[in-house]
Amino acid sequence: MLEVADSPVTTDHGGNEPARVTGNAMNAVNNWVPHDIVMRDTWFPIAHAVDIGKRPVRRSIYSHPYFLWREDGKIVASEFHPNEARTREKSPYSDARGRYPVMEHYGVVWGWFGNPEAADPAHLPSLPFLPPNGGLPGYMTSTIRFDCSAPISLENLIDLTHADFLHADVVGDEKSDSETVETFYDSETVTMVRTCINKSVAPIMKFFSGIRQPTQNVRQVIRIYLRSHCAIAYGRFTPGDDVPLFHPCTPETRDRTRMEMVMNTSNAGFMFRHIMPKAGYKVSRQDSSMTSPQSPRYMLPTTRKDLHSKFDQAGQRYRLQMMDLVTRQAAGDFAYRDNVSADCSDIIGLRKELFRF
Amino acid sequence: MTSRSESPWWTIALSEEVTDKKPLAVDLDDQPIVLWRDKQGIARALEDRCPHRRAPLSLGCIRDNGWIQCGYHGWSYEGDTGRLKQIPNMKDEQRFPPIYKAQAFAVAESNGFVHVNLDPKATAPAPADRTMPLAGTAHVALEQSHWLDALYDDPGLVIDIKGVEFTPYLMSELREENGLFVMERSCLWGKLHWPSYAKAEFPITLLTRTRPDTGETELVLRDDAFNVLLTVRLAPVPAARGVTQIRWRGEPGLNLKGFHARRFRRGSAFTVREAIDATALRVLKPSVSLHGKKLRSELAAARTVAVAA
Repeated sequence: MLEVADSPVTTDHGGNEPARVTGNAMNAVNNWVPHDIVMRDTWFPIAHAVDIGKRPVRRSIYSHPYFLWREDGKIVASEFHPNEARTREKSPYSDARGRYPVMEHYGVVWGWFGNPEAADPAHLPSLPFLPPNGGLPGYMTSTIRFDCSAPISLENLIDLTHADFLHADVVGDEKSDSETVETFYDSETVTMVRTCINKSVAPIMKFFSGIRQPTQNVRQVIRIYLRSHCAIAYGRFTPGDDVPLFHPCTPETRDRTRMEMVMNTSNAGFMFRHIMPKAGYKVSRQDSSMTSPQSPRYMLPTTRKDLHSKFDQAGQRYRLQMMDLVTRQAAGDFAYRDNVSADCSDIIGLRKELFRF
Repeated sequence: MTSRSESPWWTIALSEEVTDKKPLAVDLDDQPIVLWRDKQGIARALEDRCPHRRAPLSLGCIRDNGWIQCGYHGWSYEGDTGRLKQIPNMKDEQRFPPIYKAQAFAVAESNGFVHVNLDPKATAPAPADRTMPLAGTAHVALEQSHWLDALYDDPGLVIDIKGVEFTPYLMSELREENGLFVMERSCLWGKLHWPSYAKAEFPITLLTRTRPDTGETELVLRDDAFNVLLTVRLAPVPAARGVTQIRWRGEPGLNLKGFHARRFRRGSAFTVREAIDATALRVLKPSVSLHGKKLRSELAAARTVAVAA
């Protein structure tokens, strides 16, 4: 009744993929050791562009050092600090000079992790609610850290029922007249759409956006770019505002996560526009109170299966798709079978009129 | 740890530590356990791990109906069997398959302590209600077996009895008596006196009775007229990362004679040292503890023979 790992789900492109064998599917969901996941050949968001100047700053991806600075205004990502006496071999992920492919887009610095020759801007995730050249005000951005593995943090994000409980004081409780959850996926992404009719109004909207009605209709979308561990969290609240959030979970190490968050609240009222991005500080601590003790419990394989409810369908699909990519990469297949940079506005239901750049 | 088939009852908490207000997280070796009281006031114990997404249940809350609710997604479990009772977004669904449950442990309560057995079917020990008024909890960064060895070899390193100086001299060496390890140590009142090696008589002794399986120990301090001056029950439990959790209860005797003994009525007569002098511990010569190891191996051998027979 509650095991829904094999419930039919559709793909973004409506493809007819072969049905999974039940046994394998359940194994993939339950043999979930996120600590072991290392994704290659992908762009990871590693800094807000405005934070990078002439002086090198240090970041890391899976413990590999990334030193970032600007040369003639252009971002450079190096495996070595300019003042560092080289006592170690360079990794295969940087070029002959020890430099990684790097690019600046959406106001974020993206570092390539993997074969440098495979680096291609075409593999950059589509974030249609962010201005391509950046420029959003600083109060819409922040850096938040989690002491858990990045896939755990992403699973937390796509699991919306925890929000009604753990973040009820920010986003409201679970009460609504009706609720539907749909999951779409392809080989590189998982997208969940949750639609609630007459849901309790989010307290933060009640206080800072002036919503007086007792309930609101909510359409929440979570879209995860599996390889780069990036997510879009887009909420449309009626009455209320559109709140699109760029929620990357960059694996600084296999069990520490860095989030260079960007929330575009440009279309909201003055109070809400300024306050809502700050909610991340509170919400992230609430999440961390659970994901931090949770993370070590997923560090080693176990024969004990997690229990699931029908609301975990998207999370299960996320585990399956992530493990598919892991399996492919383990076999040496790093090719992109789906285009992550194709505009996803329609998939996430973005009200394009609000986000013209 | 002992296998579940012969799993002992561990004294894991003081009764007053387990409430219906807030779950209590304890552990037994690497097994995390959450304790709370249900609506009837009965102490309950589940594995401190929500089977949904492995979050500690102790970070959740106790509901008015006595169920424990995970703080992550709000899944609620009842304490007796650990069965899942409610998922917030599925309140219409009241019945879940039997597999939907958290690991439950057997719980018993007696003498102001809460005992847990990892075997949920274990038979509870006979209840007793002699709750001693003094109580405390201490965490010591020393493995339980080493802590017990130190208690045998030099109690002053791990416990403190107000005004009492433990000597190296024993009235009786460690022996097995009715299934308990028993010994008696000579003690002095901590005042100006000849050194213990030159004392002809000792005014007080400390009788120690230890359960070989759990290390639970009763200490009885007596004077030379056999008046009981202080009784303490100590429950050292192996916890995570080699830490020992020690819960204790004690009471002064009814017939306290002399200046030092009468001081037991005021303030704290007994404490477990949370900070141990590691330099002294390192050079502490094993003496009584060697007998303890020998007795344990003899007991184990006797048990093997009995099982084989």
